[in-house]
Amino acid sequence: MTALDRMKRNLRDRSEHYLMLAAIRDLGAGKPGTVAPFDDRSGLLWRTMFVPLYRRLPWPLKRRAMETLRMTATGWQPPERRAHEPWRPPPPEP
Amino acid sequence: MSERLIVIGGGGAGTAAATIAKRVNPDLTVTLFTEFPDIAYSPCGIPFVHGREIPKFEDLFLSTVERYIEDGLDMRMETTVTDIDMDRGTITARNTHEGFDKLVVCTGFTWEKPDVEGANLEGLHYVKDIRAAMLFDEQLDGMKRVAVIGATPLGVEMAGNLGHRGLQVDFVDEGPWVLSEVLDPDVAAPVHDSLEKRGVTLRLGTRLEGFAGTDGRVRTVATSAGELPCDAVIVCLHKLPNSALAEAAGVKTGTTGGIVVDDHMRTSLPDVWAAGDVVEVPHGLSMIPIRGLTGSHAYAQGRTAAFNAAGRDNAYDPVWVPWGMVAGDYTIGGFSLGETLATAMGVPYVVAKGVGVSRARYYPGATRTHVKLLAEPGTLRLIGGQIHGGEGVKERADFLAFAAKRGATLEDIAWMENIYSPPIGALFEPMAIAAQAGLEDVRRSQAVGAA
Repeated sequence: MTALDRMKRNLRDRSEHYLMLAAIRDLGAGKPGTVAPFDDRSGLLWRTMFVPLYRRLPWPLKRRAMETLRMTATGWQPPERRAHEPWRPPPPEP
Repeated sequence: MSERLIVIGGGGAGTAAATIAKRVNPDLTVTLFTEFPDIAYSPCGIPFVHGREIPKFEDLFLSTVERYIEDGLDMRMETTVTDIDMDRGTITARNTHEGFDKLVVCTGFTWEKPDVEGANLEGLHYVKDIRAAMLFDEQLDGMKRVAVIGATPLGVEMAGNLGHRGLQVDFVDEGPWVLSEVLDPDVAAPVHDSLEKRGVTLRLGTRLEGFAGTDGRVRTVATSAGELPCDAVIVCLHKLPNSALAEAAGVKTGTTGGIVVDDHMRTSLPDVWAAGDVVEVPHGLSMIPIRGLTGSHAYAQGRTAAFNAAGRDNAYDPVWVPWGMVAGDYTIGGFSLGETLATAMGVPYVVAKGVGVSRARYYPGATRTHVKLLAEPGTLRLIGGQIHGGEGVKERADFLAFAAKRGATLEDIAWMENIYSPPIGALFEPMAIAAQAGLEDVRRSQAVGAA
């Protein structure tokens, strides 16, 4: 594993953790049966800089950034999702 | 001379890969290596045997080693593969090198171990191997109080089942509700109620700080909310991909730590495929790689790898992850994204919510079915949803995942046809009720916007 791979893995781990923590805190507040999540007060920069900045960016831009960083899958072809059109089999290979 | 396919791993993916490859191409010599003495059983059933919902562990076995040998497979039980040499085309097991032409890696996962003091004490149990489960089950007969660490799907199943068995269960998790990484908070209350009715004490928002014991055996769990006495601890944290063997051979791993595969389950090395909990596959909406899915995903991936290793051409689609389970006595499920995950990812969505009944309202046994759908603003194509209640959660989650994959919209669901038959289906389908309510909300907000 290269240093870049390690960095990307770490970026994903940390960003997912703090984005999830923020989402859980926001959506769960006041909902019946929920309590406050445990807060170890770690990751000050992630909470105060990364999460608000990430949230401000539109989804297509986030998606493009992930693609640029090669954090999305390659070698895959998702089926087309065309609203209001029935699914049809893929065209035969040439 | 026939080609030799070696499959490493005897879980759902490995078993599927070996048996299907042999079936598709009977000329292949297929050898399966597994470190365990058993094969073809359902580890997902283990919590329910502990909970006495299923009478005995033997019921979880679906086939035997002898049956696979009769089908022409070369089975190497209790044989750990310690090395893959791609230059020579060999694997090493029991200090012997064995050659292969094609390789399928299905080495599965290991459970995350808690990084706290006392994590090596006896009495910490991980649910995976059926023989270990049988021994643990005997020990449970002499126990009164256990702690379950981690409100993951397995944690919820273990806590609920051990409560059902009559044990006092402390259920510890840092999150503010159980399954908070998957389930939305509006479902927390019924799930918590159901677990508590089974004798589970929820210790949420609580951090695990360590384990302490006497004579090398765990006796207490230290948490941010105090100490909990216990006879045993069941650790149910995250699944970690068992990718070290493949990685050491030069197979590329991705941002989740899982093996990177393409849509044919091919790894970065020629003639090497991988499948199951050790690989990462893209989510259909975001194309972000994910892993640690269900047994049915593992089986389907193993099947895809088998077809391709056996000379056919078979592609696996990005996943929309239908899921479902029984939490206590309450059935929950969903597909793709819930609101919590969509919010964390920053994916925009509109919500459509509704409640219906599973059978005709007057028919005995009818249960309320709550449906929440998430759709893309604008196109209103489905991107996720959650369903909870009693009957029919699984079927709706499966259907919605497929519908979303094919681009179905809230309008499609609102006007869908459905079965009306009093014992099995109500006049109004709960998914359609939710979609109709969502469309009404969208129309209202558009009208307000236009004004």
